Amino acid sequence: MKKIIAREKLPELWKSLSELGPLFLPVQEGPVVLFQPWQEGAETNLDTTNTAVPPKDLFLPREETYMQYRCKGKELEVIPAEEVKPAVLFGVHPCDLYAVEMLDKVYMEQDPPDELYKKRRENTTIVALSCASPDPFCFCNDFDVNPAEAPGTDVMAQLKNGSVLLEAKTDKGKALLEQAGDLLEDGSGEEFARREVKTADFNLKLDGLPEDLKNRFEDPVWDELFKSCLGCGVCTYVCPTCYCFDVEDFGHEAGGERFRCWDSCMYGHFTEMAGGHNPRPGRKERVRQRFMHKLRYYPETFGQIACVGCGRCLRSCPVNLDIVQAIQALGGETVEQR
Amino acid sequence: MAERNLDSVKKIREAVSQDLLGGRISQVLGWEKGHYWWQSRPLFARSEADLEKLTWDSFCVINLSRYLLEELKDHEKVGVLVKGCDARAFNRLLQDNMVKREQVILYGLPCPGMLDYNRLCEEAGAVPDGIVENNGTVVLKTDGGEKEVQREDIMLDKCRECVYPDPAAYDQMLLSPQGEREAAERFKPVEELEELPADERFAYWEKELSRCLRCYACRQACPFCSCRECFVEQENPRWQGRAYQPSENFMFHLVRAYHGTGRCIDCGECERSCPVDIPLQELNRKLIKDINELYGDYEAGLDAEAEPPLLTYRPDDPAAFSEK
Repeated sequence: MKKIIAREKLPELWKSLSELGPLFLPVQEGPVVLFQPWQEGAETNLDTTNTAVPPKDLFLPREETYMQYRCKGKELEVIPAEEVKPAVLFGVHPCDLYAVEMLDKVYMEQDPPDELYKKRRENTTIVALSCASPDPFCFCNDFDVNPAEAPGTDVMAQLKNGSVLLEAKTDKGKALLEQAGDLLEDGSGEEFARREVKTADFNLKLDGLPEDLKNRFEDPVWDELFKSCLGCGVCTYVCPTCYCFDVEDFGHEAGGERFRCWDSCMYGHFTEMAGGHNPRPGRKERVRQRFMHKLRYYPETFGQIACVGCGRCLRSCPVNLDIVQAIQALGGETVEQR
Repeated sequence: MAERNLDSVKKIREAVSQDLLGGRISQVLGWEKGHYWWQSRPLFARSEADLEKLTWDSFCVINLSRYLLEELKDHEKVGVLVKGCDARAFNRLLQDNMVKREQVILYGLPCPGMLDYNRLCEEAGAVPDGIVENNGTVVLKTDGGEKEVQREDIMLDKCRECVYPDPAAYDQMLLSPQGEREAAERFKPVEELEELPADERFAYWEKELSRCLRCYACRQACPFCSCRECFVEQENPRWQGRAYQPSENFMFHLVRAYHGTGRCIDCGECERSCPVDIPLQELNRKLIKDINELYGDYEAGLDAEAEPPLLTYRPDDPAAFSEK
């Protein structure tokens, strides 16, 4: 099913879709573009290159309640987490969607699955937007991602001369387009422009890298690579394939809450044990862990390197220490000054 | 490619290599090029081959002094290239007793101000292929041709608003001084915020801080955040909750700003490091402004010998402790 809509009519479409549940799409928030729930008058931006933060928080919220409780004297009332409402994610780029599929392997395709993640994932209809103009930090071509196509989406969208062409790829996608009703015109005569979108290509040699890293835990590369790392968590929080969380309790006399929230392997407390021992005591161990996870541990478990070349770490690391530098330092490289 | 100032680079390399190869220091902290011509990243040079990579261009923005906190654990004495802000950062660490003066050789680099990648792109209308710097102007080269712009117009905000581009502390000054800059505008955003009623100010910060990911890049890049254990990580008592609540975001940023009162050297590294562009320097500048108004003009980091307003204790303090 193909549909088409003029761009000036998009706000009407947003309004219609948001009646189903929250509609997340790229919104200009001050100086940055972020996936935000659509509201009347929101400054949407479909022409943006990658958002500052990936949309992973739709499925793995920055903070998520497991359960709450209230106490009154000796009475205890347990309040389960709120039901997950259906949501729509509109305008996600192919790289970010590939990354969501990597999170799926961790959270849904293992036994038992993570129920909260699974519910959010299954309740979300995804409209992927083919990416026409990658920014200079994008390097998804290194990972054989075609920025124009997103195999796992419910609806594929492409910006086209003042219109948006939409094609349902799943039943969920079809239902979404039907919900929009007359707002969408028939697009069966329209074709998706075939395009090969070129991103930066660092010519990374990735074949065999996970295997090669098996014996390189004590490689001297790590002694040097970590030195510029500040020990902040930018890379992990802007990375679409990073997925770690921490479980916390918040309580007071009248009640409390158990929740999970994003956490980062770049933080000291991440591996700190009761009693104070820390198996990853410094930046070297933490930097090694992060890159080993991307380049060796994840591939060992799930068969692919946990990077999609979205370029966010290249753009956002305050000291320009990123995964490309790590891969280059580890030998999977062709170094060329750009 | 960004054209490197080859004469300056040569001069810097010569000066530091004498000390490094002569054994006075075992490491030099400088910059090397990153993946792109508009990025330079920290270089930890310990050999002649390392020094070959050393660069000095309009993208050496990363403040190197903070690395001393870690590097001095492994090295007895190191050299650091310091711009105006890096030198003030060094003085900050010195005043906080985090480093000893004799452990460090400072190579002073008067700073012309670093360039802003986003502004370069805006001005050029595309990502430039490279730039050529002239005196006071920059030529942006794109596929479509060349465009000459005023250097000032494509500088980072933090550099446009910098008053002291010349290093206030150094052992050797390697290039010619820039002189003090006029930066009358630096308190303007603060003044505008001060004009607003309290509830609007609150709404402003609530919105800005709502983007905070609590990645702590601002803290990690900051020369005044040199505590071995930050209050954020303390478990007992637990000052800072890990939840992503607006109140927790306020807690972190306001406490951090207060900890920097009279200590913030106005380098703007916090704001530059923020992945979601929260205007953090407005918080710090508010406190710099307050200190100036309450205790007289004081520029943190400019003079390591000057008494920091809130960090001194005297039994015969002339001011009453309370109004009672």
